[in-house]
Amino acid sequence: MPAPLSPTPPAALEARSAIAVQGLHKSYGSVEALRGIDFTVQPGEIFGFIGPDGAGKTTTFQILAGVMEATAGQVSLLGKPPGQAQLNIGYVTQKFSLYPDLTVLENLRYSAGLRRVPAARWRERAPHLLGQVGLDAFGDRLARNLSGGMKQKLALCCALVANPAVLLLDEPTTGVDPVSRREFWDLLAAVASTGVTVVVATPYLDEAERCHRIALIYGGELQQMGTLASLRQGLGLQRLEVWAADIAQAETVLQGATVSGLVDIQTFGDRLDVLVTDPGVADQQVRQHLAQQQIHVDRVQHTTPTLENVFVNHLRQQGLDPPYLSFPTAQTGQTLGKVAIAARSLQKTFGSFCAVDHVDITVRHGEIYGLLGANGAGKTTTIKMLCGLLPASGGEIELAGQTANLSRPEVRSRIGYMSQKFTLYDDLTILQNLTFYCGVYGVPKRLQRQKINWVLETCGLQGQEQTVTAKLPGGWKQRVAFGASVMHEPDILFLDEPTSGVDPLARRQFWRQIRDFARRGTAILVTTHYLEEAENCHSMGFMVAGRVVAQGSPSQIKAEQPGQLVEVVTDRTQAAADCLKHHLETWRVAIFGDRLHLVLDDLDGDLPRVRQWLRESEIPIQAANPIPFSLEDAFIGIVQRAHASPS
Amino acid sequence: MPMKRVISQCLKELMQFQRDRITVALALVLPLAVMLIYGYAIRLESKNIPISIQDFDNSFLSRTYVERIVATNQFVPTPLLRGDPTLSIDWGRAKATLVIPPNFSQSILTQTPVTVQVLVDGTDVNNARVIQNGIRAATQFFLSSSHLLPDRPQIQIVADVRLWFNPGRDEALYIVPGIFGVILWVFPSMLAAIAMVREKEEGTIVQIYASDLSATEWLLGKELAYFMVGVGEAILAFSVAAVLFGIRVRGDPTTLLVGTGIFLAAAVAFGLLVGARAGNQTGAVQGTAIAGFLTALLLSGFIYRIENIPMPLSLLSNVIPARYFILITRDAFVRGTGWSGIGVAPGAIALMGGLFFFGAIRTLRRMQFSD
Repeated sequence: MPAPLSPTPPAALEARSAIAVQGLHKSYGSVEALRGIDFTVQPGEIFGFIGPDGAGKTTTFQILAGVMEATAGQVSLLGKPPGQAQLNIGYVTQKFSLYPDLTVLENLRYSAGLRRVPAARWRERAPHLLGQVGLDAFGDRLARNLSGGMKQKLALCCALVANPAVLLLDEPTTGVDPVSRREFWDLLAAVASTGVTVVVATPYLDEAERCHRIALIYGGELQQMGTLASLRQGLGLQRLEVWAADIAQAETVLQGATVSGLVDIQTFGDRLDVLVTDPGVADQQVRQHLAQQQIHVDRVQHTTPTLENVFVNHLRQQGLDPPYLSFPTAQTGQTLGKVAIAARSLQKTFGSFCAVDHVDITVRHGEIYGLLGANGAGKTTTIKMLCGLLPASGGEIELAGQTANLSRPEVRSRIGYMSQKFTLYDDLTILQNLTFYCGVYGVPKRLQRQKINWVLETCGLQGQEQTVTAKLPGGWKQRVAFGASVMHEPDILFLDEPTSGVDPLARRQFWRQIRDFARRGTAILVTTHYLEEAENCHSMGFMVAGRVVAQGSPSQIKAEQPGQLVEVVTDRTQAAADCLKHHLETWRVAIFGDRLHLVLDDLDGDLPRVRQWLRESEIPIQAANPIPFSLEDAFIGIVQRAHASPS
Repeated sequence: MPMKRVISQCLKELMQFQRDRITVALALVLPLAVMLIYGYAIRLESKNIPISIQDFDNSFLSRTYVERIVATNQFVPTPLLRGDPTLSIDWGRAKATLVIPPNFSQSILTQTPVTVQVLVDGTDVNNARVIQNGIRAATQFFLSSSHLLPDRPQIQIVADVRLWFNPGRDEALYIVPGIFGVILWVFPSMLAAIAMVREKEEGTIVQIYASDLSATEWLLGKELAYFMVGVGEAILAFSVAAVLFGIRVRGDPTTLLVGTGIFLAAAVAFGLLVGARAGNQTGAVQGTAIAGFLTALLLSGFIYRIENIPMPLSLLSNVIPARYFILITRDAFVRGTGWSGIGVAPGAIALMGGLFFFGAIRTLRRMQFSD
């Protein structure tokens, strides 16, 4: 029997650190969630946790917040055991823990009361906090009526209202759009600069690069821990960013070829990240190999690996890449190019609020269409109308050649739908869930076994089919839910944030499957907050406040962006961003991992001024290079410009 | 300071309560609906029982006899079907058939005993007994009013019956105070249980766990809030009952005031206990509704006499708070004997309420997730 949590932490640990954890174990029955974790966090540090689904991140947070007992090990926060430090801790969970029936102010006041904030202090602090996150105008709005990004900011305010010394954030940005996420991290940086210790878990690895130190957790153990620079160094590799005409084919070619010192190839958005020991030699060989196959290489850039490279590489070494298995199908597929989904002037109003405003969308068989936008832009409402779950207030819908009675069984049976909310029955086993959906969608009995096995294998859940679904971590549930929504081989597939909260390896596998379905003729409409994933789409629409403000293929959309994108490398990215936002419009400045992206209209005229501003603030620039727009850059620009000038 | 936290907990709870229209409706409309349904639907007294009559005699005397039976209002005549005495019962048109033999008046006149046949539908045992007694009584009355009884010595004992407390045998006076015991138990406990599990479902319980709020403070806040909601429900129920059923407090009102207060507190504590143990709203609603309705209806003496409940089950009725509360309400609204008439009832309810509350605190004492 392991010793129970000791009430007094050892003096050596508590010395200077805000958080000290030693030999932390947690088991749920026979399942070991944490197998001995050690780390310390210094005051004022931003400490990040990354790891695949079910790695033990949430358990660690629950123990730190004192809402769960550890099985063994020593934990001290601010020199006290977690249960006694609670008044000095702010805790934000993935579900935000807000009362939907209370207003913004009432939620805040209640949190303040829980943490013994005197009424006078609260009255003085509340407007300041809400002003800081831009919620001051929404004090009387019910929490249920806030968008995802706003809920997340309110949850942060509730955690900050008592001026805590430690902030615990368990994936607060899951399912939140790139613009809101960046605003959230700017807030975090400001909070940390006042001396608050921040521990944060995130599935977005570019965000994690903004942490001072990062811990990679997997299988209940800390695999790697250190600063971004030390993790990169630990990898001991350089990165070639390869932009080529057909990256899927380029990846296949390079995997088959012998390139000296090539360790790993990873797709990221519209480019390949090739991890090599010697970039000079590898660059030439990569170009040669691709030229032999007549694949046009746009450009190759030498740079340092990203955190995502480190993470994916590490998981691959552990053999965690989920197996790719092609879907067992009898069907030859639909005629490619035939219109599958069409919306003309689609509208939806809730009372006086116009959620979807004259939206036109066409998706053909074999096409992946991405619907992108900030939280609350109307994406989910649009999808619900298109698949017949919600009546439209105006406009026309054509679905699988039908324009009326879209909820008829004949139409329904050709559709697959998966949403963040379409989860499985928590109290059934995985096998029972899959069998149930086979029955619901009318999969013939003789094929059921085969399809269910395919889902279990692609999810890596063989032998666990009798597990009760409630026990699966969120990301795994998403994978099973995706499997369940495609078992009946639908002609049309609606996927509403299918990869939200899913780890990078599983997301890549997801998209390989989605591409496969498209190739076989399925028309796919998908929403996502991972913009690099959206590169997989053939065409896309950007929604802002119910309207589609930009539409086209990824390359078209990127080409339409005004100005020139410049990537700035500096040691003090956050400070540089804060400084430049004083001089430039907000949409022109965005942090990408440990870098800064600037949109400048006139490179030769503006860049020297940027250098000048940064020099005045004593922020040294290591490099500033023009780079091509990514979809995420485009998204940030489009959404923020649309909000700045509502026409 | 602790009291302040309890109050702020309570205020938040009331705020949430009034925002959710469905909960408000559940709290105010449903108890009234239940009261109306039970108040008007439950009638233990039998009236207007359909009876078919086969009169083979058809004389002045036989017709007087039939008139006598129908004149009680207990029975209404319904036609005989195809001259078959059992058919109208088979078809459910009549609950009884009275067969008068052809020699009815002749036998009476010649002073020889005559037998009339009464066929009674025995499906409903209770009703059959009522019919049997009704026919016997009417026959007896017919005999004495027609001076057909043989000369007998003067009867020595006359039982002069007078109904105490409810002289008019008004049934609402019996039923409605019992309904109070059902609705003031079920609905406050259900609301409290839902409020508890909603915190689990919304994930807001994590915020509570992550603060230094103790289980006692947290539960007391909810207890206080739903106690107040319960008081509102009680006032509404008592007022509506006064208007619709003409039920008024008799004598000393303090037993009702104190008793209702203790009972509501116990009901909310029961809801908190169920909510602390249940994982979701379905569990909370079923736990409180089924446990509440079943026990408060069947084991509390609301309709069925507790003394008639057989042995092991009758012990169970001792731990049903509604049983004691019904004692209090019946005393307050019907008997009016005050504190001397209700004995230990308030104490018994308080004891059980205390146990429920303590159980809820024990369940949550660590204020952490269980594994």
